[in-house]
Amino acid sequence: MIIRTAAALALAAFATAALGQAAPTGYPAAYAQTIAAANKEGKVVIYSALDTKAAQPLIKDFSALYPNIKVEYNDMNSTEMYNRFIAEAASGQGSADVMWSSAMDLQVKLVDDGQAMAYASPEASKLPAWAVYKNEAYGTTYEPAVFIYNKRLVTGDEVPQDHASFAKLINTKVDKFKNKVTTYDIEKSGVGFMFVVQDAKYFTGMPELEKGFGATSYKVYSSTGNMLEKVSSGEHLLGYNVLGSYALVRAKKDQSLGVVLPKDYTLVLSRVIFIGKTAKNPNAAKLWLDYVLSARGQKLIGSDVELFAIRNDVDAEYTAASLNKQLGNNVKPIPVNSEIVTYLDPKKRLEFLNAWKAALATGAK
Amino acid sequence: MATLADAAVPLDGASRNAFVANLPRALTILVTAAAVIAPLSLILYQSFLSAPFFDAKKTFGLDAYRFIFDDPDFWSALRNSLMLAAGMTAIAVPLGALLAFVMERTDFPGKRWIEPMLLVPSFVSPMVLSFGYVVAAGPVGFYSVWATEVFGGVPWGLYSLPAMAVIAGLTHVPNVYIYASSALKNLGSDVEEAARTTGASPFRVATTVSLPLIMPALLFSAVLVFFLGIELFGLPLVLGDPEGHLVMSTYLYKLTNKLGTPSYHLMAAVAICIVAMTVPLVLLQRRLLQNARRYATIKGKAGRIRELPLGKWKWLAVAIVGFWLLVAVIVPLSGILLRAFVTNWGFGVSLVEAFTLDNFRAVFDEPTHVRAIVNTILLGTVGGALTVACYTAIGFATHRRNDGWSRVVDYMVLVPRAVPGLLIGLAFLWVFLFFPPLQPLRQTIFSMWLAYTVVWLAYGMRLISSSLMQVSTELEEAARTVGASRGRISREITLPLIRHGLLGSWLLVFMIFEREYSTGVYLLAPGTEVIGAQLVSLWQGGAIDVVAALSLINIVLVFIGLAFALRFGVKLRD
Repeated sequence: MIIRTAAALALAAFATAALGQAAPTGYPAAYAQTIAAANKEGKVVIYSALDTKAAQPLIKDFSALYPNIKVEYNDMNSTEMYNRFIAEAASGQGSADVMWSSAMDLQVKLVDDGQAMAYASPEASKLPAWAVYKNEAYGTTYEPAVFIYNKRLVTGDEVPQDHASFAKLINTKVDKFKNKVTTYDIEKSGVGFMFVVQDAKYFTGMPELEKGFGATSYKVYSSTGNMLEKVSSGEHLLGYNVLGSYALVRAKKDQSLGVVLPKDYTLVLSRVIFIGKTAKNPNAAKLWLDYVLSARGQKLIGSDVELFAIRNDVDAEYTAASLNKQLGNNVKPIPVNSEIVTYLDPKKRLEFLNAWKAALATGAK
Repeated sequence: MATLADAAVPLDGASRNAFVANLPRALTILVTAAAVIAPLSLILYQSFLSAPFFDAKKTFGLDAYRFIFDDPDFWSALRNSLMLAAGMTAIAVPLGALLAFVMERTDFPGKRWIEPMLLVPSFVSPMVLSFGYVVAAGPVGFYSVWATEVFGGVPWGLYSLPAMAVIAGLTHVPNVYIYASSALKNLGSDVEEAARTTGASPFRVATTVSLPLIMPALLFSAVLVFFLGIELFGLPLVLGDPEGHLVMSTYLYKLTNKLGTPSYHLMAAVAICIVAMTVPLVLLQRRLLQNARRYATIKGKAGRIRELPLGKWKWLAVAIVGFWLLVAVIVPLSGILLRAFVTNWGFGVSLVEAFTLDNFRAVFDEPTHVRAIVNTILLGTVGGALTVACYTAIGFATHRRNDGWSRVVDYMVLVPRAVPGLLIGLAFLWVFLFFPPLQPLRQTIFSMWLAYTVVWLAYGMRLISSSLMQVSTELEEAARTVGASRGRISREITLPLIRHGLLGSWLLVFMIFEREYSTGVYLLAPGTEVIGAQLVSLWQGGAIDVVAALSLINIVLVFIGLAFALRFGVKLRD
């Protein structure tokens, strides 16, 4: 009996030695317990709108940090994430441990609907205030909305540097840009919709821009990749409000694609992360959330992942700091708060969509 | 009717035997009914709600219908769908009929190897084909760029409604061709020869003698093509996007996002509207098919068929067939082939410099894509075999039994075909989420397999029943006179006799499963990836490089199936 107990104790001690990981510096000591519990859970299920391929560096590094936690990373588009999450939650089968999506409004709505677990991340203080919502959801990236253009066919002064010159260009050179301007289909893309709602706040020339879209019979898509492809091939020449993180990455390999960060103001989107209320692996989920917000995770986001790090204190190629330095006060991040869910109300959304269409029609004639 | 009612009250020994004998049949019918009815009733139920059916805040009512009938997009989608369906029927039917005549009746050169090519568009996913058109003949497609260099402009467009109708029409020619050519096969050539001796040209023989004789088959295929036109999804999704042309199915798809959060009730209501249009068409098809069979047997003297010499018409025929092959097969497929091997394309891009294998590396570096490929192959091979087994079981449950149950099954298998695959997939997702016994299977390829099997029920049952019909009743009766039970007759007489037919069905089901894409869109989950649905999702996400490479892999799989089918002499038609 005694021998048995001793053996068990020794085993336990060995296990703690193997698994017991101290809390990262700056974290409360109790964090070691979270790590231990997470190791026991053994995995974390993530739903994310960022492709697996792009997220690979994060997954690899996280696995190196916590080798006992298997990362089940599932990429899908943001609407599908939302659909799947609410259906799974309603069926009582449990869903993702971590939800990480660029559809900021849908994420905030889930938080407002009580689908998120409250968790005060030890990293929260390192984030800008607008990126922390109710200690439940956090902004993780700093991705600008940009203009794109075909470098072979749009050159010199023609390249629009701000919103007003974009509007002016497509209103004056209607023939050249007929069928050649593209942006998100705001009826299909939640991100596209969110951007134009913000535009209405900062850009007084919006009616002029919409008129130009109508006049040039602008072409709309639901995906960024499609727009990048079509502008690069020359099927279209200009792209409006394209997610800059993707555009800049492609522009690096693709000689035909040019990217402009609008000088008057640049909207910034932040991928929102939260832990599911019914998460089966809540501790592992905490580790992932904290890791993504940590300096180590953020450095990767700003480099290998090729999104923009939201933290000001990391040094990488793509960071909020570098963007802020370039654009000064003209960076306009979309805040993570209830304001952005206004247009998830079907009636208000329809009104907005109808107004948008009516404005287009004034240009189309 | 009587058999099942009897089965329910096992009293004495005789009826207990009857119960045991009927049990497999009753079970087969029940399982089929459950698999068909569960998802469909969920859709119907959902269409009368104001929110997702699992949402506590839902209320009953007709709001969903009110909304879509108020939405101008709905009406324009409806109009476009009808125009597209009519346009493609007007193109596919005459062309398919003419092709059938040329291939079946004349001394057209190289028929043997051209025939399989004629069927290619019907085996390649419409998603893949449309994508092929965009990269080959879109505003800056490979061919468009060359055309601009030669003519100084691109003399065609892809994204308008008429263009979509032409493309849809041309790619649906095989659907007409299959029926027209089987009908022609059953028709003696004596009447044509008679016409020929009086000096009629081959064209005149075709239009005034042969084709009128197969009118019922043509009528059937016209209804079929029109029906497929109403259901069209991949093509308008890809080609209708840039100019914002909506059809019913893409309107339905768009509703996923239009209000910001998923509007299942609206989607279900649209689906019900589509079903209201397609069910009558499906029933009409069924009636026409029965008539066509009767018509053909009365008229047909399937004797030796002599080939009509085309004479000076040969070159015209070659030109027409060649043009069709070029537009419907070569252009889209070569487009994909090229796009899969380059980094970027368009004006002023040298294809040689842009050559790369990275697109394939990207596919094989990504575990989800590899899983998609593996799953798609498994689904076609193992899954296809299981599917054929299920269809065969259903076939036996109704074979040579003209009772009420058989008729119920007959109609039941047609229904899933009438619902857009997109929504059937969504309904299956709900079934797997909310029906506890199936929950553990949701994230396995089984969910995909079940949905595919139900969606293609009508198609598969036609394959099976045409095999079963070939077994003459005498053999079964002979077995019965020596006292064999029904089950034993099925196992020992009928099944061995139809094994070639089953093998053929398996290959056809394989190709259909490789091609399928819309059913999986909502069922796609980690573990259930299939190429078809993955392509829709990747296309939406804009990962064009990967789409091209995966499309090419998909085409290769279909071609492997096709090669096997040809090698084993499988009839590529029912």
